[in-house]
Amino acid sequence: MIEAYLIHLVILVSIYIILSISLQVSFGFSGLLNLGHVAFFGIGAYTSALLLLSGFSFIIAFSAALFMAGLFGGLLSILTRKLAGDYLALTTLGFSFVTYAVLINWKSVTNGPLGLPGIPRPEIFGFMFSNNLAFMFLVVSSALVSYFILHKITSSPFGRLMGATRDNELASQSLGKNTKKLKTISFVISACFAGVAGSLFASYITFIDPSSFTFVALIPLLLIVIIGGLASLPGTVLATIIIILIPELLRFVGLPSSVLGPIRQMLFATILLAILYYMPRGFYGKVDLE
Amino acid sequence: MEIFFQLLLNGIIAGSIYALIASGFSIIYSTNKFVHFAHGGVVALSAYVLYWLFSGLGLNFYISSLLTIAFAGFLGFIVYQFIYKPLRGKGASTSVLLIASIAILIFVESLNILLFGADIKTIKFLEIKQGLSIFGAIITPLQIFIIASSIILFFSLHFFMKKSKLGRAMRAVSGNKDVAEIVGIDSVKIFRWSFIIGSAIAGIAAVLVSLEQNIQPTMGTGLIIKGFTGAVIGGIGNVPGAILGSLILGLAENFGIWFLPSGYKDAIAFVLLFVFLLFRLQGILGTKFKKND
Repeated sequence: MIEAYLIHLVILVSIYIILSISLQVSFGFSGLLNLGHVAFFGIGAYTSALLLLSGFSFIIAFSAALFMAGLFGGLLSILTRKLAGDYLALTTLGFSFVTYAVLINWKSVTNGPLGLPGIPRPEIFGFMFSNNLAFMFLVVSSALVSYFILHKITSSPFGRLMGATRDNELASQSLGKNTKKLKTISFVISACFAGVAGSLFASYITFIDPSSFTFVALIPLLLIVIIGGLASLPGTVLATIIIILIPELLRFVGLPSSVLGPIRQMLFATILLAILYYMPRGFYGKVDLE
Repeated sequence: MEIFFQLLLNGIIAGSIYALIASGFSIIYSTNKFVHFAHGGVVALSAYVLYWLFSGLGLNFYISSLLTIAFAGFLGFIVYQFIYKPLRGKGASTSVLLIASIAILIFVESLNILLFGADIKTIKFLEIKQGLSIFGAIITPLQIFIIASSIILFFSLHFFMKKSKLGRAMRAVSGNKDVAEIVGIDSVKIFRWSFIIGSAIAGIAAVLVSLEQNIQPTMGTGLIIKGFTGAVIGGIGNVPGAILGSLILGLAENFGIWFLPSGYKDAIAFVLLFVFLLFRLQGILGTKFKKND
């Protein structure tokens, strides 16, 4: 019993680690105030779920989730290339509202508010990840691979250029760097990994509906990225573990579930406000939120 | 042709409610220069306060409404004084304040669920009566009440901003904070008053919204998105623009469902918001546009 619960927590934390370190690429490393990350998560989840339900293999569904999220990330980034700061934040937030409206209303494809039930568990080269223990290994290894890839990217010369552009775009441009292209690439990378997280999430929960991808889901993500510290991957992992596990402690207080949900959201919101005030750079952050 | 007038009327009614939210939001934005998303939360919590006073305590409706408006203004004061002002004091950027406002909105919505439950509430004050017919379109007395209140409010607001000392000081801070300070205007005081007045207008919006629709814990998000969209269409921070933009939004939504399934009503607002943010940031009436502002 307790083992099953622990496995569930490890899976949840791993999925959130992929989601939050990928947000860190656009939000932290490139300084793009991306508030639409939940939309890419949703696009990945729906793409993967729809393909799996139509009988495609997990590898194809997973790759398509990555590709579709990245594609929309690229389109959004190209459309918003002239925007910065608040306006970028609001436009990306607007994008997540549009995505949500499409998921709710495009009933012939997404089944609207009823969602998509019965999403199969992954099968890779004949091995079925049907029980949670096997699935845990898949998710943990995906999280490790994602961390490794994003660490490589962000610590490469390209990653340093992202930081330089975030701190002073004009200076990067004067060195002959194409900062617009750089921002688009970082946005695409960020969205791709959100799509990966979405694909794993859909296959783990086996049921998705648009309510998982509203902007309420954005609060824990922002919290993780800010507590962990902008542009810090280890901080983000630590913050993910803390933020996903804290509300789990509330379960043991014995509150009814109707009270638990709102209390968790209020806790997240309060911690976020406190962090913005007392510790705006989080654990390991080196940069301020501009 | 009857459908046309009905949709026109529905659009104006929806637009009036959005305009109330947008104008309060714009007053706050015009002086404070950051996006106060939690404005929607102020509307939602105030609607519950009205429900509690009127249906719970059984007070007279007009007294309940006045208390609700006062509560909303007070809530605006609290939010400014105890959250935004300290954050500003620490040098928080407008992006930090935007994120803080989203956190406040989520906090208030969860508080609503906790205090009042997740189910919808209704205020039975003006009963649904047989509507009047104008050019074949049906309008209920309640809807006439909403439109009339909005028009009175907008004119009062206009005179307040043009003639009163406080209104003129607000416009001065909105135009150029530094110059306003040089001539002796206390900008912090103006920021605070903008929050109180803007939020009190949110309280008026809360009263009218709860007469027209059910009260739901998470209605604040939907309402602020509409209000914000109206403000962006008209030119953000410009109060007449916010009213015009909100009417356009109300009409676009209602005429849109002539062609699209009614579920797409919200999507129309989102798409308009998105398109204006991308292609016409200064809105219809706004002129200033600073790229990295």
